[in-house]
Amino acid sequence: MDRAARRGVAAVRRRAVCGFAALLVAGCGNLEGFGGSAPPLASFNVALHGDLTPLRPAGVPDVHALRVALVWGAQWLTEPFCVLPPESTEAGAVIDAGCRDPFGFVPAAVSVSVPIDVDAPTMLTLAQLPAADVMVGDVTARVAFGSLVVFDDRDDTGTLELARPLRAPPGGPREPPPEPGGNPADIIYGASFLTMTAPDQRVAYREGGFDAASAFYPRAGCDPPLRGFSVVAAGGFTAAAGLASALAGTLPPEDPSTCPVAAPSDATIEIGARAPADVQEVGCDERTDDSSVRYREPPVEAPDLASRMMACAHLPSFDTTGGGPASDLVQLVISGRSFDRCKGLTHYTLRGCREDVNCPIPDWDFTANPPAWWPCGQ
Amino acid sequence: MVVGASLVAVSAARADDGRRPVDDDWPVQSTGPLAVDAGLVLALPATWQTGLSSGVGVGVTRGRRLAWGIRGAWSSATESSVLWTVSHDDFRLRAVAALQQPAGRGVFALRLGLGPTFVYEHRTRNQGARAGLTGSDLETSALATFPGADLEAVVTLHVVGRWSIVLSGGPTVIIADGALSGGWTAQLGAGWQP
Repeated sequence: MDRAARRGVAAVRRRAVCGFAALLVAGCGNLEGFGGSAPPLASFNVALHGDLTPLRPAGVPDVHALRVALVWGAQWLTEPFCVLPPESTEAGAVIDAGCRDPFGFVPAAVSVSVPIDVDAPTMLTLAQLPAADVMVGDVTARVAFGSLVVFDDRDDTGTLELARPLRAPPGGPREPPPEPGGNPADIIYGASFLTMTAPDQRVAYREGGFDAASAFYPRAGCDPPLRGFSVVAAGGFTAAAGLASALAGTLPPEDPSTCPVAAPSDATIEIGARAPADVQEVGCDERTDDSSVRYREPPVEAPDLASRMMACAHLPSFDTTGGGPASDLVQLVISGRSFDRCKGLTHYTLRGCREDVNCPIPDWDFTANPPAWWPCGQ
Repeated sequence: MVVGASLVAVSAARADDGRRPVDDDWPVQSTGPLAVDAGLVLALPATWQTGLSSGVGVGVTRGRRLAWGIRGAWSSATESSVLWTVSHDDFRLRAVAALQQPAGRGVFALRLGLGPTFVYEHRTRNQGARAGLTGSDLETSALATFPGADLEAVVTLHVVGRWSIVLSGGPTVIIADGALSGGWTAQLGAGWQP
């Protein structure tokens, strides 16, 4: 090795030593660990249209804090009393006043919400997937549907509080205290998915396959949701078609031209402003989702029936259990109050148990001695 | 190490009984200045103050009372938050110098190591794959280098022939973001000394 080569090798060694020394005194690189911004799992474009001013309820001077929330839907069946033909005019009035739309969107859980303005594009981003309890199906094929609900966050909680129907007070020592519910301060002004009997746009989240025979907010004849998140639409079907399909054990068909499917980034979910009275039901939670009915012991004193509708009616025949004959019981059905946020029914019977109105050994039996106020004979 | 100590104790008892001494049954043939060891490494992750990083380490030293050499270790730890699952692979490279004191079949040493610690970070967005995220939205990785130092106590117990059990451990520091960040490291393994 000549002198020049040796000098070159020496220079390389010096650089290596200097580099190593520099490495010892100063670190480099940028680790983020658990910090930094997390990419959203999905982002949805939302637009609200309309004028809220004429829609404000009486006594509400302004729109306080308008937000849009993603609300995941529940699997819900209405109770038989609400879909069977009413046996009297009074029963029909109670159904009108106390039964929610049997094809309506029923909330299960409220997810994220963001501020929104009228006619201003808004992006709603998700950092969490829907929980398993709002997904319908097994682990190989399950789906969740959600509605984007526009509301005035008047209590400044940053989220939409769901309401629950308020029942008439029960009697008897076995009854628990009244459940929370009532009328939250938030006012709903619109939703992308209100009912299956009207056109809708909904958020879908799908894992695995898709069961086209699923009756969970069905879109028969439409393309299935994409895997992961998507925005799907449906043109809606009539209530008569829905009931006929339910009786036939099929799904009401949709017009395929009305139910596109798009990736979240390729769609804008349009929401029209509506009067709160027309859309507030989308914020009403339900205690039971399987069409079961809780029959209650009538109180000794007459309940406050002001602002309520009531009717005497026989129990629906398929409410009997054990294969026995239909019950001869007559129930008193009372609707919620006319000013309640959520529709609901209260069922009183003179005999029954908390879990089964036709139980062989009743928890209460006033058939021989009804309360003085009881209006239904027996 | 416990097994080795038990074997030595049993052999010693046999010597007390008038039978052959332990060195006859378990002769030590290590006489050279070169020593190689490798084993399981447990450590506090270099840039976290929580969790346990596990892996393997290897080293070679040369010398008797004063020895010098190089060491390398890889260990990995994975932790999760609501949003992220983060793995850190720590690669420790050290130039080491050790003061050694033989004692019977063993050697006690105090070892100082200086050198870089490379941290390879891999982050996965939780639930991202289920939601259909791809690319950098789903996973990110980064490599960082930190100067570091280790001070370890080392116990070497010659077992038989050229083989020994080596236990070491002690505090470590790295310089991260201009500040010292402390930790610890430990290794249990086998040594070979010709």
